[in-house]
Amino acid sequence: MASFDQLSAKQIAAGVAAGAFSATEVARAALDAIDAREPRVGAFLQVTPELALDAARRVDEARAKGEKLGALAGVPVAVKDNMNLVGTRTTCASRMLENYESPYTATCVQRLLDAGAVPVGKTNMDEFAFGSSTESSAFHRTNNPWDTERVPGGSSGGSAAAVAAGEVPLTLGSDTGGSIRQPAALCGVVGLKPTYGAVSRYGVVAFGSSLDQVGPFARTVEDAALAMNALVGAGRDPLDSTSQDCPVDFLEHLEDPVEGMRVGYIPSLMEAEGLTPEMRAAMRKAMDAFTDQGAELVEIELPHMDAAIAAYYVIGPAEAFSNLARFDGIRYGYQEEGCATLAEQSAASRAHGFGAEAKRRQMLGAYLLSSGVYDEYYFAAQQVRTLITQDYARAFERVDVVLMPASPRTAFKFGEISDPTQMYLSDVFTVSLNIVGNGGVSVPLGLGEESGLPVSAQLVGPAFKDRRLLTFARALERAAGARGTVAPDFAGKGGELA
Amino acid sequence: MALSREDVRGIADYARIALGPDELEAMTAYLNDTIAILDPILQYDLEGVEPTYHPIGDLANVMRDDAPASGLSLDAALGNAASTRDRSFRVPSILGDGGAA
Repeated sequence: MASFDQLSAKQIAAGVAAGAFSATEVARAALDAIDAREPRVGAFLQVTPELALDAARRVDEARAKGEKLGALAGVPVAVKDNMNLVGTRTTCASRMLENYESPYTATCVQRLLDAGAVPVGKTNMDEFAFGSSTESSAFHRTNNPWDTERVPGGSSGGSAAAVAAGEVPLTLGSDTGGSIRQPAALCGVVGLKPTYGAVSRYGVVAFGSSLDQVGPFARTVEDAALAMNALVGAGRDPLDSTSQDCPVDFLEHLEDPVEGMRVGYIPSLMEAEGLTPEMRAAMRKAMDAFTDQGAELVEIELPHMDAAIAAYYVIGPAEAFSNLARFDGIRYGYQEEGCATLAEQSAASRAHGFGAEAKRRQMLGAYLLSSGVYDEYYFAAQQVRTLITQDYARAFERVDVVLMPASPRTAFKFGEISDPTQMYLSDVFTVSLNIVGNGGVSVPLGLGEESGLPVSAQLVGPAFKDRRLLTFARALERAAGARGTVAPDFAGKGGELA
Repeated sequence: MALSREDVRGIADYARIALGPDELEAMTAYLNDTIAILDPILQYDLEGVEPTYHPIGDLANVMRDDAPASGLSLDAALGNAASTRDRSFRVPSILGDGGAA
């Protein structure tokens, strides 16, 4: 007997294809693992055994008929609950959408299904993806599998925790300001935000339309690459006008050496206020790993990085206010009864349906887009966006990849950061990438000596060079000898595979 | 200049979010605190800097071929609405004083 949580997505797909086990056996093992672990993790908002067993049966039937199997055939996956999947509710962890039934399936989810993936459920998140700890979910908290008294990060906290707890080898999250990379860092798993436009956003509930990007969580870089092949392999999505063609095989150059390549780092960031000694040590470990493999470390500067948080907290809330205006209680979402006028009904429905942080972000966005304020902040933020974009462009003339922290610190305790503006600083190392659109990936680097919690590094690449970004991530994973592992309290707990 | 509670009440009307008295107080404090962290973008000389509204600079409208294709069915489109009638979304009076829906 083997525990399915010890298998990567790649190994599961290979085992199913070779007949070592059936997709149905894997699906049952995943559902057992979820059943056994969920009471202590809370990563899921819905578990979907019927969808999972149906999909698994189709894979097994296809194999029995000798049909060619997809690259993810039989691999259990879960997706963040802001992604539509027919047969599930898409709640965005909000009372507003508590009963919202997905009318169609998001392209990113459909592409995983087309590759033979088996959908086991929808994962918890900060409400409408506003947050860095998953504490703003309207339904329940998600515990960090490495220490259940601590947050998993956010906003895709459920997707990160599900992978770290060994409930599923692969999940999807979305990243508007760090919502894949930061929870990946806090849960000790790989989390990739591809370049904006690489993955279709069709069917993903919008937060910041010029910032949002979907990407995978996995325990290995190879599994993230496998997921990317499924997500982008079919080319651009005609249903998303920002979707771009990026037909590359992410597995093809994954093991390439990085010898002679240039890795940029920003000395001032290493001394940044709030970056804990453990995270500094992780940065040094990553730098050593690259030099050991013959890469050259190059000092760079991103002079306008200190304005990134401010620019983000203008652009993000402004776009969120615009996007969330659609939740007026009429076509979908919570509707307050007994209101005399449309305006009253809308204001009352939104007051009841949205939680505190969702209200705060929309209020901030409404203010920033109001007459007079718009020029001072919104227009200026878009000008700062140009400066930050130019900073990165200049850096990538000199280096192939940039190394920086993903999170200033390891996972914090529930309730530890109660001031919203302090919580916003959790994104200090991640938001600049959403502003410019480039891809970034969190790579786990083992455990901090003091805390015993996962530490990590972030790698940032030029736009649409996500394949090479993963080659660097793989080099770091290989050198550090620290692939993402299932948190020890959960390893082997439920989910036996005969 | 700090936002007053009256300012915040006006923003809430604009945002269509009904706020209770306690929420109004907390929201006023929040907005003033958050606006303070936005200061760095006001510190740069941005004269002559072009704005970037979108990471994909040359984004153009994408038009599909003018060919018949099926979209969301009426049932699916109405399926999540709290109130429908005659194959339509049902809403309260738009002009006011129309009585409850």
